[in-house]
Amino acid sequence: MKHKALLTAIVTTMVAGACSVGDQQTAQSSGGAGKKEISFLVFETPNMTPQVWDTAIKRVTDKYPDITVKKLVAPTEDRVSYAKQLLASGQFPDVMIAVSPAGFAESGAMAAFTPDELKDFDFPNNGAVQGKIYQLPTNTQTIPVVYYNKDLFAKAGITAPPKTYAELLDDSAKLKAKGITPFVIGGGKDPFASTLAWTATIATDVYAKTPDWMAKRRAGTVKFTDPDFKKATEKFAELAKQGYLDKKDVSRDYAATEQAFLDGKGAMYPMGNWFAAAGDDPKRKPSWEIGAFNWPTDDGSVVVPAFTGGGLSVSATAKNLPEAKEFALAYTLDQTNLDASVHNDGLYPAIKGYTPPADTGAVFKLGYDLYQEGVKSNTVTQAFSWEAGDDGMLPGVVDKWRAGAQDLITGNKTVDQVLASLDDEWAKAS
Amino acid sequence: MAVDVRTTPVPASATPGSRRPRLPRAERLRSFALFGAPGLLVYTCFVLAPIAISFGYSLTNHNPFNPPTRFVGLDNYRLLFTDSEFLTSLRVTTILTVIVVIVPNVAGLGIAVLLDRKGWLYNALRTVFFTPMVLSSVVVSVVWTRMLDDEGLVNQTLRALGVEQPPGWLSDPRLALYSIAIILSWQMLGFCVVVYLAGLQGVPNELAEAASIDGAGPVRRFRSITWPLLAPSLTINTVVLLITAFKVFDHIQVITHGGPGTGTTATIAYDVLQTGLVANRQGYASAMAIVMLVIIAAAAGVTLKVLNRREVNL
Amino acid sequence: MKDSRLPWLRPVVALVISAFFLVPLYMILVNVFKQGEKITQSPASLPDPPTLENITGLLGRTDNLFWASLTNSIVVTTLSIILLTVLSAMLGHFLARSRSRWARVAMLLLLSGLMIPPQVILMPITQVLRALGLMTTLQGLVLFNVGYYIPFGVFVFTGFLRGIPIELEEAAAIDGASRSRIFWRVVFPLLRPATASVLIFLGVWIWNDFINPLVILGPSQGTTITTGIYRSIGQYQADFGTVFALMFLATLPVLIFYLFLQKHFVKGLTGGATKG
Repeated sequence: MKHKALLTAIVTTMVAGACSVGDQQTAQSSGGAGKKEISFLVFETPNMTPQVWDTAIKRVTDKYPDITVKKLVAPTEDRVSYAKQLLASGQFPDVMIAVSPAGFAESGAMAAFTPDELKDFDFPNNGAVQGKIYQLPTNTQTIPVVYYNKDLFAKAGITAPPKTYAELLDDSAKLKAKGITPFVIGGGKDPFASTLAWTATIATDVYAKTPDWMAKRRAGTVKFTDPDFKKATEKFAELAKQGYLDKKDVSRDYAATEQAFLDGKGAMYPMGNWFAAAGDDPKRKPSWEIGAFNWPTDDGSVVVPAFTGGGLSVSATAKNLPEAKEFALAYTLDQTNLDASVHNDGLYPAIKGYTPPADTGAVFKLGYDLYQEGVKSNTVTQAFSWEAGDDGMLPGVVDKWRAGAQDLITGNKTVDQVLASLDDEWAKAS
Repeated sequence: MAVDVRTTPVPASATPGSRRPRLPRAERLRSFALFGAPGLLVYTCFVLAPIAISFGYSLTNHNPFNPPTRFVGLDNYRLLFTDSEFLTSLRVTTILTVIVVIVPNVAGLGIAVLLDRKGWLYNALRTVFFTPMVLSSVVVSVVWTRMLDDEGLVNQTLRALGVEQPPGWLSDPRLALYSIAIILSWQMLGFCVVVYLAGLQGVPNELAEAASIDGAGPVRRFRSITWPLLAPSLTINTVVLLITAFKVFDHIQVITHGGPGTGTTATIAYDVLQTGLVANRQGYASAMAIVMLVIIAAAAGVTLKVLNRREVNL
Repeated sequence: MKDSRLPWLRPVVALVISAFFLVPLYMILVNVFKQGEKITQSPASLPDPPTLENITGLLGRTDNLFWASLTNSIVVTTLSIILLTVLSAMLGHFLARSRSRWARVAMLLLLSGLMIPPQVILMPITQVLRALGLMTTLQGLVLFNVGYYIPFGVFVFTGFLRGIPIELEEAAAIDGASRSRIFWRVVFPLLRPATASVLIFLGVWIWNDFINPLVILGPSQGTTITTGIYRSIGQYQADFGTVFALMFLATLPVLIFYLFLQKHFVKGLTGGATKG
């Protein structure tokens, strides 16, 4: 019976394979006396390549020789959904980076950091969930900064960046009259790229006035349909209506959108300050000069939407919990790692006493100086849809909000329809 | 169990009168244990049991991030039929499915008739049409996004031909779904061509030649000889297209992420995952999944029945 | 049959239609060998000069992503399709020849299995695998593949068996052959075209599967090539040359496999039904 023999062979191989995989695992976890293994979930982007992660991890393990790190890589940039899948299938990593703690924290999956562990951070309470910190508030990002193409501004006869919202509209009209698309936006598989101008108008018209708007929304005392939020939304919708945001761009993914701005396909590019990494990259640097300004308010005062967080979290069930925390803090506070995050990803570390290295690029400095203006005038607000923990929207609503932005850009729905449906979604999610 | 029930599938050679004696019970059990049981066991573990677990969840408000889980009876199902988002995704999925069942079926038949000749040219072209079948949906999605976005090949070509405002294939809310349908049709076309070609090769040449001598024109020959013999191919294509289109997820995820905006390209499968994995409402998402399964099983069942009856009547 | 009038018409029409159909495939092929920055500007132009950089960059990755995941993919796909062919041929034969009403019920249950989107049952599957201690193992993934795809195998084999006269088996039985001997010696060799189509379709699907290996193998046991490829799209998203090279490399093995078997498999799908 040839076939039976074949079948038996296959089954035997599989069983044998099972044993050997099992052996490997035990060998790994117990191998080396006193070695503590922790798993670390990271993600890869054009800036954060495998080499960048490996060297950053090695810097820490060199200092802590008793810790070994197993690097895990998220398959897409949607790290949160992936972390949920891992949690649901019993494979939650010990340490993870840039995974919003919402949900994980409440359900007890993540370990809270103590005030003592957070003593080196500028904003030790940012992104709290029920009053506790589950994700190290490592760095600040301005979302958005408006980057602009000085060449195209000159072509349209604009000599200085707009100071007030009226000037912004005026400049947009001038650009459009010259056949230049005023704003570069995106969408497609990265719907967030459709929304940055809306985040900006919510900062200037909602958060500047009511910094705790989200807490109030959670408490049910404000709604999306309230006048301030509606005004911010109408501003955004008007940009689309006037053709300053091109509705054809909502299918363009994020990478292509960034390239479109660098290729001069539009004059202004509202984007998080991580754009600096591309703008300062000698290989991608455009021939024209990049400028930047904060999204203007009606009266010309400075408002800077920014998000502080994005750091490492630790699983509450990590086998080596003390070492996992030790690693997370050491990784975050390592001077070279912080410098690298400035260079590679254009981040502003929010660590006490830290100053960015002197050799940062021109585009990075533009964003950093604009942020410092906001710090000086004490008008840094939350960046809507980027907030974490108690400051953030309920799970699932962010995606509806992004879809709503596209509905407004394409004119598929009116402001009132979008806002009413957001209130509905909120009710469903709570 | 004493009644001799005729079961599908019927051996082609069996005639209604030929009742063979049944094997003894012990013999039947032995052959079940040897041939039937292993496959059914694995299937039960990895498909039937998970469906049962899903159904269990659909009767609860399960949200892993918001315990405790409570039994809510049929509440989720009741809610579904008033949920405008779910109803919209059902409409979107239906439109997509109808297009994808028709377009590759019709185009595939045409191309198969065209390629039903001998020679290196036709062999080579057949391979061309088959190739998309081996591409993963993600590859197909990425390439087509590059073709259809505003600076993509299609609009570049249209602009070169003098069209000033070429359509926003993926960004216009009214067009995006149809673009996705075309992409999916392109990918499935090869399958239909293969199956129809196989069917055509089963049509005896003598039959067509005889008809030709009798003075039947090409259209008439196709309608009265070829088409009836293609009935099994039509059945396979229709059912496979129906199932593929109804559960499409990858293309939506990679190309539009359910957008632009709301109610445009979010299919049921996309909605299920979004609700379960992003919004964490896994009880509700399970109910969606079960409803989806019932709809697709009913649709495929009816289609199979209708087409099979047609096969028999022809 | 000969095309009597206008003999040139058919090849010309066939060529024109194929050309349109071919455009996306052509796009993949030329862009694999083109410098990254030229792809956005002129996606359809021929690579001039052609470059192998996109491909060599990937093959030389320090973490060995390509080669390690290629091995995993080959092991998983090969084991899965062999087991699937054996199990679904046996089950298909059993169901096609059984006259019990339970066989009819089993057939219906299997057919409905064809219609389940894998995402819908993925989370419960991880629970089953964990209960069996097979989570994050290649064996777990193989067994899942067998369970999930067996309906397709059974569908094809029973369809094909309808065209094979039962008298052959009866004759062998009268000669005193055992049931498994009859199956392997008499029936299985006749199923060759069906086997070819089962191997091809399931091979392609399992090779290209993305979400199931992702969750079942988990992040720490390495990946299959399809999963590995999409993971690295994150890193290379701005670099279309590399993205196209990734896709090309992921598809190449399965394309070769397919070209190798394509002669046989066409008959398998409809062969039984059309008695061809």
